[in-house]
Amino acid sequence: MAVTRIFFNPRLKIMMTIAAVTGGLIALRLVDIQVLRHNAYLQMAERNRTQIIYQTAPRGRVFTADGVAIASNVPAFGLYYLGGNKDPQYLEQLARDFATRLHLPEEKLLEKLRAGAASGKATLLAENLSTKSTVALQELQFYYPGMYLIEETKRSYPYGSLASHLLGYLSSMDERQWRKRDVKLGYRLTSKIGKNGIEKKFEQDLKGKDGGVYLEVDYRGRVKSIIEDKKWAAGSDVYLTLDFAVQQAAEEGLKKSKTGRGAAVALDPRTGAVLAMASAPAYDPNIFVPYSEEDFGDATQKINEYNLAIQGVYPPASTFKIITGAAALESGTLDVNRKVYCSGKYDSGPRVFKCWGTHGPMDFFDGMSHSCDVYFYAVASQIGAAAIERVQRMFMFGRQTGIDLPGEKAGNLYGPTRRARNKTYWFIGDTLNLSIGQGELLVTPIKLAQFAAAIASRGNVYKPYYVEKIVSNQTGKTKQVGERVVLQHADLKPETYDTLFKALKHTVDTGTAARVRLRGLDVYGKTGTAQNPHGADHGWFMAFAAYPGEEPSIALAVFVEFGEGGSSAAGPIAREMLEAYFNNPAHAPKAKSQADYDELLGGETHA
Amino acid sequence: MLNVQQVSSGRRRRLDYILLFAAASLVALGALCIMSAVNSVSFSNPVVRTHFLALPIGTVAFLMGWSFNYQIYDEQWKALYGFILILLVGVLLFGSYQRGSRSWFVLPFFSMQPSEICRVCTILVAAAFLDRRGARIREVPTLFWLSLLLLPIFGLIMMQPDFSSVVITLPALFILLYCTGANAFYLGLAVLFAAVAGFFTISWTYIYLHPDLLDYPLIKVFYGLAHNGWYMAGFAVLIALLGYGAWWLFKQFRIFLPSFYFVLATLVVLAGLAGAMVVEHQMKPHQRKRVETFLAPKSDPQGAGYNVLQAQIAMGAGGIVGKGLFSGTQSRLGFVPERHTDFILAVVGEELGLWGTLGVLGLYLLVLWRILSIAYMSGDRYGYLVCSGIFGMFFTYMLVNFGMLIGIVPVAGIPLPFISYGGSNLVASLWALGVVQSIYARRLRA
Repeated sequence: MAVTRIFFNPRLKIMMTIAAVTGGLIALRLVDIQVLRHNAYLQMAERNRTQIIYQTAPRGRVFTADGVAIASNVPAFGLYYLGGNKDPQYLEQLARDFATRLHLPEEKLLEKLRAGAASGKATLLAENLSTKSTVALQELQFYYPGMYLIEETKRSYPYGSLASHLLGYLSSMDERQWRKRDVKLGYRLTSKIGKNGIEKKFEQDLKGKDGGVYLEVDYRGRVKSIIEDKKWAAGSDVYLTLDFAVQQAAEEGLKKSKTGRGAAVALDPRTGAVLAMASAPAYDPNIFVPYSEEDFGDATQKINEYNLAIQGVYPPASTFKIITGAAALESGTLDVNRKVYCSGKYDSGPRVFKCWGTHGPMDFFDGMSHSCDVYFYAVASQIGAAAIERVQRMFMFGRQTGIDLPGEKAGNLYGPTRRARNKTYWFIGDTLNLSIGQGELLVTPIKLAQFAAAIASRGNVYKPYYVEKIVSNQTGKTKQVGERVVLQHADLKPETYDTLFKALKHTVDTGTAARVRLRGLDVYGKTGTAQNPHGADHGWFMAFAAYPGEEPSIALAVFVEFGEGGSSAAGPIAREMLEAYFNNPAHAPKAKSQADYDELLGGETHA
Repeated sequence: MLNVQQVSSGRRRRLDYILLFAAASLVALGALCIMSAVNSVSFSNPVVRTHFLALPIGTVAFLMGWSFNYQIYDEQWKALYGFILILLVGVLLFGSYQRGSRSWFVLPFFSMQPSEICRVCTILVAAAFLDRRGARIREVPTLFWLSLLLLPIFGLIMMQPDFSSVVITLPALFILLYCTGANAFYLGLAVLFAAVAGFFTISWTYIYLHPDLLDYPLIKVFYGLAHNGWYMAGFAVLIALLGYGAWWLFKQFRIFLPSFYFVLATLVVLAGLAGAMVVEHQMKPHQRKRVETFLAPKSDPQGAGYNVLQAQIAMGAGGIVGKGLFSGTQSRLGFVPERHTDFILAVVGEELGLWGTLGVLGLYLLVLWRILSIAYMSGDRYGYLVCSGIFGMFFTYMLVNFGMLIGIVPVAGIPLPFISYGGSNLVASLWALGVVQSIYARRLRA
């Protein structure tokens, strides 16, 4: 073959030009992708490889004044699917193999897995897994790539229903609540928030800062490494004014009472601090921290959020005789030693009013101690209803106590002025009904406790408070929350208080309130039995007590719905609460030595 | 371009060092990136092991290609042709299935893909045939006989099937024909055919995937062409009239072109349309999906478009300087699929950044420039033809592989020679370069 020159150079040039131009265009596009869009692509690459799993921080604990944690946290585990593997068969296998371990129906788990795979993000499959059930899962996660078990904490209320109405409970957010709290506040869609009581009111303090684990995962969702492990910050602890023993005594007492329905409130008459507040029936807030959604469904139905202590209104019955008595003493027309003869009935003119017994001759102290209706009918008709209403107003009946809890009822003040405003008439019968605390007069248990504290403190109508302080777990800073607030001072004459104290002590020592008589203590009390036209009568008991020569340090009101007798139903609860309170050496007067204290209680607490 | 006269004096160089340097750099870079892509610096990794086994074999192939006189292929082209057919028939008979195609010979220590060697051989055979046709290159019968000659090869390849081999070889042959001096009109017709068929296929698929477009009456009529015989007949008549009109117009302006050209152009357009119709009716859903992925890669990031998107994320995340070798998250964690083969550029882009990708591109252009220069320097027409064909092959590889990554070409499973993992491809590519060096060594003196 002859060597011939090829003369198609123009086409070679054209080809080379085409190649160069193509290369140039490719280079431009490379610059576009790698320089101009670098940031966007870098973000996408980061999102590809990182999965964030949040760890709910331990919520702040709730302590009683004597240092018992009534709300705390226990370790729990959450199981996540990291969402890399979208293979439907693998997802089905996961659902099959994990459903029973997680106590979830298979279809439900598969649904969650599919949603997680579609989103490509870490998805919570089950939370609050107990340590026991996670031993197996801990190992299984290595055989099933994409599954990831993480430690979290779970809210726990170690004493179950104790103070549940005060504590509230935790629950998932609904859509409206989610809109209010966003990511900036540290919330996630799956976050649980306080739904009632302290959990709700101090949500911001209790909630800590959630931690998070930043995982590096591969395209199948297998964890390759942990990029960052951000430790959580626990929420602040809340210290209550509650006295654990008194609270427990109140709850147990109510539970054991005849109907198991009622309320008990104890206040410190020196400050207005709530020492105990119980409402029965109560609920166990632990059931809101469920294993699975199925359990949760039941929980919402069982819950009894009704707080009888602040929402139940009833006639105060005979406990109101303290007001009538105070009004009479205040009027200056009453001779406490003048006797009224109780024949079992009182003729008011239009109608004959009955007493609950036949007491014979009664002076003021016996009238109080035996709760003789006839005596107070006589006194009331002497001083008139307006005087009684005036004293009611002094103690702020018909008004809320102002305790920082939602839904408190005000009750109802009853008297001629009120009646006049409604442009109807006031009859003598009304006066007599009022004098023994029946009729339209309504109070809540906490109102009566506030009243007891007001008498005990000689006139200080307190705004009750139950939170002492909030202590941050991060900075150690203490925020004082509750303080002594006197809403109003009931300006009765000192002699009036003296006489009332004497009468109420007399009631405990010799009369209807004898159940709360305690050795070595000055106990003052009054029972009440509210007539209930619809069924059994309600039992009331109010009391306050002090070490001899000291200021009263506890004032309480106990109410048992349909309990019939104030003394029989509510009395034992009041006694147990007082005993619980005074059995605590911390409540002994400071100036006294331990020896004095032992002597005071007759050596009962120390062997 | 290098002038022949410049090399005349002094000791004659036997090796084009620029080409050697460019290719060696690409191979070295490729080996590093493969090691990074398979997430291992260990030589016990099967992929790395195979690649480092293929490297010496490729070097031997290069040396053989260089040392043999390339004119042997011209003389023994019939034997070469027979060799291709034997290999291709053999793989159909004794080959093993991998990923749905029968393209592999499994040997005791490694497997080989004969279509890679056949691709280079086909160029050598086509070049030999065209060399023999000589000046008759511009005639239609030459194209006809060439097509007839290569038909069995393509037929056998499609029986495997090895679509990517066809995708590379056809444009390479086309470029070979162009450089050889084939009639531009006929080549243009082939382009026209492909353009018409491609345009209609893509448009119809796009409309099929976006049914709301059918609300527009014109689009409805256009889509109707695919399924309504009457529409189609009317459209064919319209095309014929347009062809006639064009001929008449040219005549009015006293530009005399053979009426034969107009008839041919019209026929090619109609053939393209018919081809598009066939494709439209034969296309399977997953193939439609692939076209859609090409049209809108982000429409379904979890599905078919996932691969391209992840590769682009990898490149974009690399930025200008890259994340450093062995530290790309996209590739290391497996988000980029086929990262050591077809999408190796994504690894280059992520770990070495823009400098890496531009470097590969530059080295490729250097290789292409050297091949064309050697074509020019070639001692005979055969050398020129072989260089053009090999240029066409590497150019197509570059275009398709880069194009796939930057989203201008549909995903088609094409590796990037020298860089991608794949022993057969590496050996064949190095052998092809050896042949080019052989042409250089025996270039025209003076």
